Amino acid sequence: MALEVERQYRDDLNLRIQVLTVAVSVLLALVAGGYWYVQLVRGGHYRELAENNRLRRLAIRAPRGVIYDRAGKPLVENTPSYNLLIDRSRTGDLTASLSWAAGILHRPAAEMAANLERARRQPDFQPVPVARDLTLAEVARVSASALEHPEFEIDVGHLRLYRHGTQTAHVLGYLGEVNEDELEASAAANGSGPHYRPGDLVGKKGVERIYDPALRGDDGERSVVVDSRGRLIQEFTRVESVPGTGIHLTLDLDLQQEAERLMRDKVGAVVALDPHDGSVLAMVSTPSYDPNAFARGIRPAEWQALLADDNDPLQNRVIQNSFSPGSVFKVVMATAGLAEGVITPHDRVFCNGSVTLYGNRFRCWRPGGHGSVDLAKAISQSCNVYFYQLGKSLGIERIAKWARKFGFGEPTGIELGGERRGLVPDEEWSARVRHHPWYPGETISVAIGQGALSVTPLQMARAVAVIANGGDLVTPHVVRNRQPVPVEHLDVDPGILTIVRRAMGGVVAPGGTAYYSAHVEGLDYGGKTGTVQVVGGLIGVDSDDREWKLRNHAWFASFAPLDDPQIVVVVFNEHGGAGSSGAAPIAADLYRYWFGLQKKKQAVGAA
Amino acid sequence: MTTALRVADERPAFRNLSGMDWSLVVASLLLAAIGTATVHSASSAMSFDYMPRQALWVGLGALLMVVAGAFNYKALVDLAVAGYVGGVALLVAVLIIGRVGGGARSWIGYGAFGLQPAEVAKLTTAVLLATYLAGVNRAHVGLKEIGVAALLTGLPMALIALQPDLGSAAMFVPLVGGMLLVAGVRWRVIVSGLLIVLALAGALWFFGLHDYQRQRVQTFLNPAADPLGAGYQVQQSKIAVGSGELTGKGYMQGSQSQLRFLPARHTDFVFAVLAEEWGFLGVIVVLILYAVWILNALRIAQRARERVAVLLITGLVSLFSFHVLYNTAMVVGFLPITGIPLPFLSYGGSFTLVNFFITGLILSIDARRYVNA
Repeated sequence: MALEVERQYRDDLNLRIQVLTVAVSVLLALVAGGYWYVQLVRGGHYRELAENNRLRRLAIRAPRGVIYDRAGKPLVENTPSYNLLIDRSRTGDLTASLSWAAGILHRPAAEMAANLERARRQPDFQPVPVARDLTLAEVARVSASALEHPEFEIDVGHLRLYRHGTQTAHVLGYLGEVNEDELEASAAANGSGPHYRPGDLVGKKGVERIYDPALRGDDGERSVVVDSRGRLIQEFTRVESVPGTGIHLTLDLDLQQEAERLMRDKVGAVVALDPHDGSVLAMVSTPSYDPNAFARGIRPAEWQALLADDNDPLQNRVIQNSFSPGSVFKVVMATAGLAEGVITPHDRVFCNGSVTLYGNRFRCWRPGGHGSVDLAKAISQSCNVYFYQLGKSLGIERIAKWARKFGFGEPTGIELGGERRGLVPDEEWSARVRHHPWYPGETISVAIGQGALSVTPLQMARAVAVIANGGDLVTPHVVRNRQPVPVEHLDVDPGILTIVRRAMGGVVAPGGTAYYSAHVEGLDYGGKTGTVQVVGGLIGVDSDDREWKLRNHAWFASFAPLDDPQIVVVVFNEHGGAGSSGAAPIAADLYRYWFGLQKKKQAVGAA
Repeated sequence: MTTALRVADERPAFRNLSGMDWSLVVASLLLAAIGTATVHSASSAMSFDYMPRQALWVGLGALLMVVAGAFNYKALVDLAVAGYVGGVALLVAVLIIGRVGGGARSWIGYGAFGLQPAEVAKLTTAVLLATYLAGVNRAHVGLKEIGVAALLTGLPMALIALQPDLGSAAMFVPLVGGMLLVAGVRWRVIVSGLLIVLALAGALWFFGLHDYQRQRVQTFLNPAADPLGAGYQVQQSKIAVGSGELTGKGYMQGSQSQLRFLPARHTDFVFAVLAEEWGFLGVIVVLILYAVWILNALRIAQRARERVAVLLITGLVSLFSFHVLYNTAMVVGFLPITGIPLPFLSYGGSFTLVNFFITGLILSIDARRYVNA
């Protein structure tokens, strides 16, 4: 039990507390006196030290890692860039300083004022950028006036140079100024991730973003003593920067450029894969943008134009856009039918142009019908009736199961991020999302790749790779030598996939839907066309005669060579019309380029 | 004690708010607000703004102050031994599983929200010391009591010194010193004690200090001898303080602070940022707020009813005052640099919470001064 203070000791206790009180008060007064001495008596001396013998800490920017294609050709490099900084505490008339700089650089003063406005919260003596990317002549002009205009200084940095601009934009991505969230994440990671400083440029999209920690390296720092005019007197300490690590992509620049040339003025996507390991050889999405615009600091007008474009150039259509696969899905249906034992390659269906199922009449694309059709003919001529019947036999659940086995309905796992999952509809999905039961008629639509089914071009390429490589679901990737890339082996008889490959070979052989448009002299390969209706019921108006926005989408999914597949090419041409005319010729030209074959003019019309 | 008095004891603590000492609360909150704003300025040129986190600590601290104030401090006295053992156990634990921060293994916990057991041990040790010394209800405490107090203090001190965090370990000296002074050590013993401390300091200098610590002291005695190394910090801090002159350079406009010359400018050197940006006037305002806090706390000690309460307050106030005096003197170059933060101003979770808790504890003692009177 704690004791109360007894009366006779109270006085002594309080005396002792008073001693403590006096002691602390005297010491506090002494400290106050100390500050009085240092701040008021010696204040001028220290102010001079603070102003005249200024130490400045300057970042030594680490050069960002170079990104190469698979042959070692640089896709993006760094060039020196000169930025003009202003120290606002050194100018009496900011407006006059800016108009002087605007005159010497022939740039609008308003633009510089806008740059300055962004740095408004920085203290006056902190040099802030007013103009980026000066030419050497401009640097010389500014330096010549250093005495009259000590408020300006030149900062040497690195400017990212994307050698092929729009051609590689969606794979490489672009840089932008670090934002608040990224800064906070970097500080919270406490050194385990990259260290960001305000104003740093960081990867915002594509490889630049995903591999930013490796690419950026570590900035160094030097502290220098400068005089009152900001001239360097002496270097104090120096920590060198650690340059960023170079990254080698799986991309083949030549193929990439050829694909981009073939897609120019079109809206769509082309992707080429190595079917054995999933490495991406080409990835083109059009329309595109120029990442160099971001590197030098994108102007508001340019940014607005990108955002306002209906065709969204910033979007990577290979992974961020999903559509009905159309008839291309028939190759998955064929594999499912054979593997489930529902059909054999020799079973025949009679197509007279349409079939009535569940009370609805479903048409084949060829009004007169294909006659007696086996699997090979059903694929090469893309007979709908054959697949309507197959769809009815399989049922939606088995179709969905096989679609998922081929990787549809989930991201492919490519490093780039922002991937669409697409959609594989089934009864559970219908009940959960649409709150109504699955209609049997929908199964018939899905059987020919229509209905709610939707896939990205990259998912399509991955599915074709499964057929081409004999049953491995590979993970597409753009960076070479990445740690083991997951491969999932599908439990399907290789003989079945051989049958499907041969059937796809028929598509570009005489009698196939793409023979005239995409036959390649000297190369046996396999493919499948697909046409996605944009508007139904425009009877009598050929898709190609409609307004662009109303035309059908064209798909072509293919691999080559037929007997020993080395490359998978998928083309998606938005509003490109029929798959055979709008997409297949692009793939054919790409194969001619890849295998070094000349296009023979007469080949198209001859056979 | 009679039953009636026990009932009186259970009445709500702040039944009479007009009798409460608001000066302590106001001084704490003003200091914490100034601190939070200064931490923002100090970290504005860093990659991370510590202000939101410090504001969170201050908010939690203010809450803790209210809780501690409403709480009967006697519960702490009842748990004195258990608390002390717990504090020592935490110190042992941190030596084994603690995280390293700033060269010492002084943190327990994960991510940004770690705990510094040294801060907890200061409180638990103070409670046990006060309880023990209050039992000696005489005019003077003898050498035996001084010895026991030294042992009780020495154990946590040694454990903290092993981290090694000599700055925090040294904080136990004003704690036990202030308490012993008030508990009634004879004046001649105090004088001889001071002489012994001086002799020990000499011995420590030659045998007990790490090289870096010896260098700090030498640098302190002659900063100009080593302007690029250990003297850098003192020199830059003095330039920051001095160049603030009378009215300062303005909030967020301190060239020394903003240009990143000052290391640890949001923690131990936060006062240099304040002095540079707000000048001598700012310094005086803050020192007056500290004086208000310290003098009112000691006034509460004088009217506290129980001996243990008197000793608890004087020990904690000595500790608090030492932090204030040492840190402000160190920042302006009058004392060697040691990791001693400034209460309510320096960034830090455990430390901010402990200072608010101490404030609440003193209010709790004051709220009960009339009980049983």
